[in-house]
Amino acid sequence: MTRGEHRITEPELRILEEFPTRSTFDVVVVGGGPNGLIAAAYLARAGLQVALIERRQEIGGGLSTEETLFPGYYTNPHAFYHMMTDYLPVLSDFDLRVHGLYFVKPNAQAAALFPDGTSLLLCHQLEDTKDSLATVSPADAAAFGRVMRTWRRIVDDLLAPGTYLPALSPIDMIEAMERTDIGREALRLTELSPIEIVDETFDDDRVRALMLYVSCMWGLDPRESGLGFMVPLMIDRAMNKAQCYGGSHKLAGALSREIHKAGGIVLDNAEVTRIIVEHGAVTGVECFDGRVLEAKAVLSSLAPPLTFGKLIDPVAVPAELIEAATHWEWDKWSFFTLSLATDTVPRYRADDPWVDDALMVLLGFGTTDDVLAHYDAVATGQLGSVLGGHATVETRYDPTLTRLPGHQVSFLQMHAPYDVDGGWDAAGPDVTAELLALWRRHCDGVEPEHVLRQSVESPVDIETRLTSMVRGSIKHGDYNPLQMGSFRPNASCVAGRSPIEGLYLCGSSSYPGGLVIGGPGYIAAGSVVEDLAAERWWRTPRFMARYQEQYLS
Amino acid sequence: MPDERFDVVVVGGGHNGSTIAAYLAKCGLSTCVLEARPECGGGQENTEVRPGFRIDPHATYLYGGAAPGFEQLELWKYGMRMVYYPSMAGVVTLDGQAANLGSRWRPDLAAASLGRYAPDDQGGAGRMFDILGEAGARDLLRALFWTPPPPEGVELDPKDLPWWKVFRQRLPELWFDELVDMNYLDFLDEFVHWEPLKVLSAIGAWYCGAHPAWDGMLLQAIGGTLLFEYASGAPRGGMHTYAHAIIRAALAHGARVITNAPVGEIVVRDGRAVGVRLSDQAAAAEKMIWADKAVISAIDVQHTFRSLIGRSHLDPSFLQRIDDISLKGGSLFVMSVICRELPRYHGRADAFPDDVYPSCVVAPGDSLEWVRIQTRDAYSTRTGPTALEPEHLTMMICTHDVYDSTRTVEGFHVLSPIYLEMPPPEYDVNGPDGINRQKDEITKAALDLLGRLAPNMTGDNIVDVFVNSPQDSEFRNTGMVGGNWYGIRHSEDQWFGSRPLPELGRYRTPIDGLYLCNQTSHPGGLCLMAVPYNLMHMLIEDGVAEPGPWWYPSEHYIPDTSRMGVRS
Repeated sequence: MTRGEHRITEPELRILEEFPTRSTFDVVVVGGGPNGLIAAAYLARAGLQVALIERRQEIGGGLSTEETLFPGYYTNPHAFYHMMTDYLPVLSDFDLRVHGLYFVKPNAQAAALFPDGTSLLLCHQLEDTKDSLATVSPADAAAFGRVMRTWRRIVDDLLAPGTYLPALSPIDMIEAMERTDIGREALRLTELSPIEIVDETFDDDRVRALMLYVSCMWGLDPRESGLGFMVPLMIDRAMNKAQCYGGSHKLAGALSREIHKAGGIVLDNAEVTRIIVEHGAVTGVECFDGRVLEAKAVLSSLAPPLTFGKLIDPVAVPAELIEAATHWEWDKWSFFTLSLATDTVPRYRADDPWVDDALMVLLGFGTTDDVLAHYDAVATGQLGSVLGGHATVETRYDPTLTRLPGHQVSFLQMHAPYDVDGGWDAAGPDVTAELLALWRRHCDGVEPEHVLRQSVESPVDIETRLTSMVRGSIKHGDYNPLQMGSFRPNASCVAGRSPIEGLYLCGSSSYPGGLVIGGPGYIAAGSVVEDLAAERWWRTPRFMARYQEQYLS
Repeated sequence: MPDERFDVVVVGGGHNGSTIAAYLAKCGLSTCVLEARPECGGGQENTEVRPGFRIDPHATYLYGGAAPGFEQLELWKYGMRMVYYPSMAGVVTLDGQAANLGSRWRPDLAAASLGRYAPDDQGGAGRMFDILGEAGARDLLRALFWTPPPPEGVELDPKDLPWWKVFRQRLPELWFDELVDMNYLDFLDEFVHWEPLKVLSAIGAWYCGAHPAWDGMLLQAIGGTLLFEYASGAPRGGMHTYAHAIIRAALAHGARVITNAPVGEIVVRDGRAVGVRLSDQAAAAEKMIWADKAVISAIDVQHTFRSLIGRSHLDPSFLQRIDDISLKGGSLFVMSVICRELPRYHGRADAFPDDVYPSCVVAPGDSLEWVRIQTRDAYSTRTGPTALEPEHLTMMICTHDVYDSTRTVEGFHVLSPIYLEMPPPEYDVNGPDGINRQKDEITKAALDLLGRLAPNMTGDNIVDVFVNSPQDSEFRNTGMVGGNWYGIRHSEDQWFGSRPLPELGRYRTPIDGLYLCNQTSHPGGLCLMAVPYNLMHMLIEDGVAEPGPWWYPSEHYIPDTSRMGVRS
């Protein structure tokens, strides 16, 4: 059986009128992940005829809520919390609460359990966090209070607004940052590696381990300098995680409702096999079943190796983009996730009762050396000797994930390489057993007698479910200095515009990156309305206007 | 936040709830759908239980091809696409026989198979469709399913029931008076000779909606298979794509669709439904939602009256009749098997060549007596099969991925669903979870039997197995009372104007402004968009809805002139 056999049915066999084999839109968005949805929602409301095309049966990409513990238990296998709900313009430009979209942001955000029986807690409230740090190091508690006053401003004044505005070139960036103390501190941190920042700020190794883990867990290299400004961002946002009540897919559903309300179309089960370029300009896309959707603008949310390497005829691709596609580096690590349905609430054996309330609990690391050894191993394709990760009881703040009264859904996730010796089919069971053993060392309620269902997803599974996450790359490409800022995905692509006329990039592989921060889709939508002379109906939020005034004017 | 207020509130975002919302939104009414689960669609589900593999836990084929809703709601605009199958069904026996009945697109396949085993039954299965033609089949199906029951006081002679009327017009040479009292088993015994074809027809009818032993339901039994043949395919990507098209039509016409919004109460004031209160679990801050014109309950009739309406509004005789509605007949034990190779029945690659592999196979098809045995199992009040021998385990094994590659990963197949009829968990002598205690045992017996029919279905070829029992289905999808895919029994006692009860047979209820729009009303299950289409006639009579020129009523609709324009 090959894909080629599954063409559009012969017209004479049709008994129902179907979505046409050829149709015309102003805009076609390839990929229904968070950024594709955001771009489509803004553009549809701008009065443009928009079609969003998704390969899977459900839109959402990483905003997925799936019945992985079938039957009866749902999990969020990708984005299980949202770190930018305080800023995401789409949440203020659209009233998504009418679709029943609510976020729950608990105070107990991230706990770490250590082999010596101590625990630490990162809370939403700064003083609660300091109270916890003080139990192991009063000096670190004080230091945390001190740096967070600066770090929060780095996030609030610079990084959050910068997330939703086109990237600055390195020279412009330095010029802008030099204007203020906060900016200069961000520049200073940039030149440091995460481990250097953590070491210079904190004394106690447990505090350092916690801070290093939350700084790097989504893809910063702990030893690499050049992206140090992201440490304040990751730590501040680790104190502001919000869970989507009803599952992360609800955000996707709410955005799609806005698309439909504004007259847009969503076509799912419709893998795009070709972006059509004629005489140097994009004219539309072709789906795997032969359907063609013509458009003035095509937005691709896929990474360069897919957009430029697979979907466009190579003769139509400029040399710099061939280069970008060829040398693109996928995420340096992916994830292995063990999910459980249990008949009781998992409870941690910890010296702090708030640990059970934490949205995330780190297990398996005693020291920064442990954390470094773990990341070093995973980044070089090993499983390593230190096995640890972060666990979440998903039903703690979202009981809707199962209808069975009292039952719970939880997961334990660890960083993992895409390639392992013998493949994941062979390695999976051993890793699962070790993760279960680790979990059971720290937690009651996950013993075999309480486990009703169990499922695992390896990096290969991630790629299978969401094929745009090549090699399990949840961010569509590594976070390293050469793939960040104005270099993401390539210096020739500015504000979502590609050098090919009518082709825009709006996915996680574009500035500012992935993790459902929503920047790429928002920025690309702005460029498209400008180029198609449509109405930019939305206003720049105040936190962004303030930044533009202070740093960009 | 001010109170939420709509013209119409629809409780339940399954197939019927979404469809009526799309209809009413298209009429210009402000409409709100409240769905308890994280996703709308009800039984129109496709679940990616394992990365890359999608199973059908409930609905599996497009039966609604003849539905006016496709054109009235213009579902094509919202992404509706089909995959038509050259071969819909086959039958396999333990004693080495295998027949491919093809589909309406490939009648030659049935001719070849039957020519070999059953020359007397040549063209048997497809014969009625051939005579009727597409227009005739649509006419007959619309009479059976897309026609609201007549008003109270209008008595129809059985032969003048809409479907028999069309049958007599369209198929005069097949008509004889006794048909109206026959059941399908008698009919098969009389007109079909080859045993496996009888089994295929009987199981086909059962799994398409009407048990072949039910008296007075002959044409409903045949009608189910006609529906199956009429569309001969499934929506591209599975049934959930169809749900998406309906929901998107509703959204495009301005309906509000809220998920994770279980309803706790239908609010009744002075005998009239005026809105709903969401349960405390709902993901919404505003728990009261008012309905100015109508509340439509698109959840099953028992939950509607037992859980959502205060008992103070209902009399005990009515409630007892609600309690006594029969749930039997459609409770399914559903297995989904991921495998590397398709089943090679009897170990032969040529039993069904890959390019015309039947999208579903009924097996073992050895004996109609086995269907009777299995019927006793499913209609008893004991749990599950009384023994796990082949005669208790006739399965319908579906393999959509042969024709729709979106459902699997290259190199693998998904046999989903594999259906087995069971008694409803409510009637289990071992309690409602009795069936789940037998789950592993039944699964093993069914897989062993599959291995006997197709020797390659063992060992490494089977990669994963997922099971939802009727009890699981009921938990996942509370509208499926008894885990029954059509909610309540499809028998003559609960059909047409008597479904679910005579006083509820026209979708109206004792509560003014409360209407029923669930498969527990006529014509039951199968994702036909028929319940909402039929209900529309009543809403128009009552002045709730005023559709535009896109609307057309059923040709067999008998208006209730006493109600026309009663109130608005």
